[in-house]
Amino acid sequence: MKAMLIDSTRCVGCRACQVACKEWNELKAEETTFFAGKGYQNPRDLAADTWTLITYNEVEVNNRFDWVFGKLQCFHCNVPGCVSACPVHALEKTEAGPVIYHAGICLGCRFCQLACPFKVPRFEWNKVIPEITKCTMCADRVAAGLEPACAKVCPTDAIVFGDRDELIHEAESRIKSNPTTYVHHIFGKDEAGGTCVMHISNVPFEEIGFDTKIPMEPIASKVEHAMKPLPYVLTGLGLVLGGVSWVVNRKKEISKESESGKEG
Amino acid sequence: MSNSKISVTTVKNFFSKLSFGSKIVWTLAIFGLILIIYRFAAGLGAVTNLSDGYPWGLWIGFDILAGIALAAGGFVMAGTVHLFGGHKYHALARAAILTALLGYLLFIFGLFFDLGRPWNLWRAIYSWNHASPMFEVAWCVMLYTTVLILEFMPIVFERYKLNKLHDLWRMVVPWLIIFMLGMFTLAMSYSLAWALAMVAILLVWEICMRAGWMPRDKQMPILLIMAGVIFSTMHQSSLGSIFLLAPTKLHILWYTPILPLLFLLSAIMVAPAMVTFESLMSEKVLKHKARFDLLSDLARWMPYLLSLYLLLKVGDLVGRNAVLAAFTVNAQSVSWWIEITIGIILPLILFLTPEIIKTKSGLLWASTLVIIGLVWNRINVAIVGVIVEDWETYYPFWTEIFITIGVVAIGLIVFKWAIENLPIYEHETVLAVK
Repeated sequence: MKAMLIDSTRCVGCRACQVACKEWNELKAEETTFFAGKGYQNPRDLAADTWTLITYNEVEVNNRFDWVFGKLQCFHCNVPGCVSACPVHALEKTEAGPVIYHAGICLGCRFCQLACPFKVPRFEWNKVIPEITKCTMCADRVAAGLEPACAKVCPTDAIVFGDRDELIHEAESRIKSNPTTYVHHIFGKDEAGGTCVMHISNVPFEEIGFDTKIPMEPIASKVEHAMKPLPYVLTGLGLVLGGVSWVVNRKKEISKESESGKEG
Repeated sequence: MSNSKISVTTVKNFFSKLSFGSKIVWTLAIFGLILIIYRFAAGLGAVTNLSDGYPWGLWIGFDILAGIALAAGGFVMAGTVHLFGGHKYHALARAAILTALLGYLLFIFGLFFDLGRPWNLWRAIYSWNHASPMFEVAWCVMLYTTVLILEFMPIVFERYKLNKLHDLWRMVVPWLIIFMLGMFTLAMSYSLAWALAMVAILLVWEICMRAGWMPRDKQMPILLIMAGVIFSTMHQSSLGSIFLLAPTKLHILWYTPILPLLFLLSAIMVAPAMVTFESLMSEKVLKHKARFDLLSDLARWMPYLLSLYLLLKVGDLVGRNAVLAAFTVNAQSVSWWIEITIGIILPLILFLTPEIIKTKSGLLWASTLVIIGLVWNRINVAIVGVIVEDWETYYPFWTEIFITIGVVAIGLIVFKWAIENLPIYEHETVLAVK
């Protein structure tokens, strides 16, 4: 399974990845406005036409304020919440790694937005025929043997693309060779059951805009106890309801018979 | 030219004959419809305050979650009367089924303007993701609406004396139900073995009834009522399951593994309250005498249902170590206390006070509180309890509110028409005259 590793210590915040993403996926530029906090970051959050975004975070590193950059995009979970949520398989986890979207069968119910712990999928609110949009890990490029546009364009190799297991190995060796610089955690190795976009950082992950309360199991595991027993509940109700109605209505018949017997 | 003039005058005549209250209801309904047309021309963003942080708002919380729960009267009353021996409540069952059918039809209508791409709704029939609670919801909506239409048909047959169609209905319904439940089990389990087990169980009951071993209601096929109870149980609980997929977003006061159970139980709990509310309101507005004796009998169940629900809710909080969250002052905890006080504690006190509950107004108020509490709960789960980025907020845009009001107004118009033109409450007297 293909994956991406993003290293905050290598990122210089040039946003070439943001531009390359727009170019390859032919996404429109957004008209943006000022917002509180976050310095040079633009825009504030992912949007229907912004599938990846460098966050600008002012964090204290070695007793001085520094900019540490995070990268927002779809995490391409191993067992994605959005894929489990979608009633009709409009979202699909491909074997190669990318999570892709098929607009043709999407109902527009937006359950994928609620079910994504990383708050990634966007909806085209102002279109008459809207679609869900998000990073595809450049599935078309990956299928052609290329790396995603953002990884290709990154001048400092802060974004590297490759085999997921190899990237985990690479991340571990980077942390091991620089144990005082890095936080000893690979964000995405186990989050939400493991993702295909992983981050390593020199500051705690919540400082660069990631939710560290995300459970380590797939989101789908939270609903298994409610979905797995369904066949048992269905057939059980079929048995019990029929049985109860038999007993109850038979009792009523008997009492009627005995009443009419008395009268007769 | 002349045609349009005639239609304008007919509309004017029609409108001038309406009472003042009806005029308001019609105006709201038409205004809502106009806004819905605008929604399809301009997109969801133009008529709602929904955002990527709050993809679901008033329409999901009120129209859909609360609406479906308030329609639970249909399966609870049908089940009580035909399965659990509560034959005396027969006079209340038809109104409950009518409300449920209306509720579900309006729900599907509501779904059409809330979904981004409603023209794809039918694709759930062939594209199966049985791991998704939303897939379960979609199937339950389609199948239970069919069951409700089937349950409602005898009322129409009776009104228009369509005896041949009624006979055909009696013949076809059990087989149709076996097919529907078989397909549903197949879709939910992906397993032919489970589907065949379901079909086998239902076939055994049907054969036992036809052979005369098992008591058989010739007027109302038991399998149809069973299907109503089964689909409703699944539907009510699956609406709760949906929110289990948002463990990091739904506030700890509502996020619990037993959410599906709480949704089901609260829907059952609101059923008697809703039946009571409707009967007493119809008596006030439409001058149909309510069966107060039956409603009082029904009210005796309320303390048990309310206590059980309260016990589960509190026990669940204690079990999850979330009690403290209820005593931290924020919007969520305040909203939680309002839900619990208005929807459970106050009505529990009222239902346990004989002097209050034995009066019509007391019973009406207690039932109304239960209904408000349930609506409040669903809004809490869908909106208030959902916490995303701190810059993102949601409150309904005025068009969202007026579209919701318009949908309710359409429901009231159809309900009034049905009560006046179909044998709903007079069922008993019609039979007696025959």
